[in-house]
Amino acid sequence: MNPATFSLIIVTMMSGTLLVLMSSHWFLVWVGFEMNMLAIIPLLTKQHNPRSTEAATKYFLTQATASMLLMMAAIINLMYTGHWSILKMINPMASITMTTALAMKLGLSPFHFWVPEVTQGIPLSSGLILLTWQKLAPLSILYMISPLMNLNLLMIMALLSIAIGGWGGLNQTQLRKIMAYSSIAHMGWMISILIYNPTMTLLNLYIYIPMTITTFSLLMMTSSTTTTSLSHTWNKLPLITTIMFITMLSLGGLPPLTGFLPKWLIIQELAKNDNIAMSTIIALLALLSLYFYTRITYTTSLTMFPTSNNTKITWQFKHPKRMTCLSPMIIISTLMIPISPLMSILE
Amino acid sequence: MALVHKLLNGTYILRKSLKPSGASCPFLSTRFADYCSSSLQKPAATPSKVSAQRNSAGGLQGDHQREVALDVTSPEEKPEVSFDKAIRDEIKEHFWRLKDEIVNHWIGPEGRPMQEVILEQARVIWQFRGKEDLDKWIVTSDKTIGGRSEVFLKMGKNNQSALLYGTLSSAAPQDGENSQSGYCAMISRIPRGAFDRKKSYDWSQFNTLYLRVRGDGRPWMVNIREDTDFIQKSNQMYSYFMFTRGGPYWQEVKIPFSKFFFSNQGRIRDAQFQLLLDKISSIGFTLADKVDGPFFLEIDFIGVFADPAHTEEFAYENSPVLNPRLFK
Repeated sequence: MNPATFSLIIVTMMSGTLLVLMSSHWFLVWVGFEMNMLAIIPLLTKQHNPRSTEAATKYFLTQATASMLLMMAAIINLMYTGHWSILKMINPMASITMTTALAMKLGLSPFHFWVPEVTQGIPLSSGLILLTWQKLAPLSILYMISPLMNLNLLMIMALLSIAIGGWGGLNQTQLRKIMAYSSIAHMGWMISILIYNPTMTLLNLYIYIPMTITTFSLLMMTSSTTTTSLSHTWNKLPLITTIMFITMLSLGGLPPLTGFLPKWLIIQELAKNDNIAMSTIIALLALLSLYFYTRITYTTSLTMFPTSNNTKITWQFKHPKRMTCLSPMIIISTLMIPISPLMSILE
Repeated sequence: MALVHKLLNGTYILRKSLKPSGASCPFLSTRFADYCSSSLQKPAATPSKVSAQRNSAGGLQGDHQREVALDVTSPEEKPEVSFDKAIRDEIKEHFWRLKDEIVNHWIGPEGRPMQEVILEQARVIWQFRGKEDLDKWIVTSDKTIGGRSEVFLKMGKNNQSALLYGTLSSAAPQDGENSQSGYCAMISRIPRGAFDRKKSYDWSQFNTLYLRVRGDGRPWMVNIREDTDFIQKSNQMYSYFMFTRGGPYWQEVKIPFSKFFFSNQGRIRDAQFQLLLDKISSIGFTLADKVDGPFFLEIDFIGVFADPAHTEEFAYENSPVLNPRLFK
């Protein structure tokens, strides 16, 4: 893409999100969401083929519907409170409509159907932006209106998302779809603790984003979009194979890696609020996600998959792809458990 | 929706074999030839079927003197037309399929364990060993637009292959709209899941299409279609040629998926895109070589395999002269 156009698109997308994060008027929030969505559409169709056009169309339709619902919720709020300020929404109708709109934006169940298909149809770098940057704006609004949200709705959505994120990802060989279902499951974890302790939502987000960036960077480095092509990396980049193994297990929430930290703290917060049943169920459902991550690591790193060349390891040339900040990202996404005592400052 | 579809296709006669009734075909015009994909010996069966019905309606004429064709139910077991039972059976069947789908989802993609799916290098997708294999295909010809080609599909000798045969006629239909005609096609049905949801094939581990065919020297076109739910996508198709040799020997045709070119609404486009293999809906064979006369194609099986020697990703390039938009 033309560098000037590309910069403009990226700047618009970022300023859309920043507008949502910084505004105190519902109308500007809506404007920010629209800017964000319209700016990312060309990024989704970077590789021009019919599949990416289909993915961009599906993304546009769902996000536009969600923006409309958001505006509707803001107007209902205006009718009942008389102001446009972003405070907690007192009217339950407005609150539920807003929750639904933001759930559609995030890809929470039962509005998750677009996430695997859109992620599958777009190139890996666009998928990275879709699954990380696009979650910031809706979660910030959820954080701001969290006090008076409907607990039942949030719990049902969280439970369904974790279940569907686990169940749907079970049979995927396409890596982008696996990352999409992983995103659905992680969003479910984030929403489950929103009412009780919204700081934990943010913690989960801060840890999910580096882990996802690391995973996508590793996938971009090996240019692999299916499990089969990823399983050939042991031959070419053995260090990446090992790091992929650790990062995937971290995404699955396995102690003592970083991914365990948010799950542990969320379960602890849920238990503190006497919600033992929910915490047990989501901990069990996280095993489904862990199963498919472990399966990827099994085929990639723990077994020497049959390849088409005869050598044990190919000659290592300097890698042509420049992955910025890959090393710090890997460290953050795998080794941050020792700083968990610092989390008390979030209380 | 599925029930309305079935009702529109003809009376749902509750039979022991729960197949769409072949008896309804002769009563419809040949325009609907594409709904009857099982073995067609219909012109011979029609008179006796009609007479059988007339006689059973009459009731008293000699049962012993009537000639009954082999694919007609005997008058003693009258097929019962029961609407409620049919709907209930249909619903039960869909829930049964849903249960199967859930169990298969647990086992692995398409019901096979994941290790098998990842490690496999060749898979037979369609093979023709019995009548039920023919039901997975639809045959159509230009009769749907008013032309005069005829096409039939039946099992070959010893039930080891399928024979697609007929006559091609490029006489244009005189309807003032179409100036060209003369095509025959055999298209696979889109696989359906519970509640008639469309499913698709995932061939992303493979890179070559393998066909074992025996033709008569005519050039065929192999078309692959992806997900057909959207209007724009249902007009898009990826195609390549298959040249058959006549002759008594079986021919093994290997077409890498990188060679398929893209066309939209029947026209080959300047902007070419790679065939992405993770959501294939159907495959089809078309004959439209403007040569009038009889043709046949015998197909043993259709499979896909991963050719490790084939490393090409896409055989065609896009040119900035023709499509500057793609290079911005």
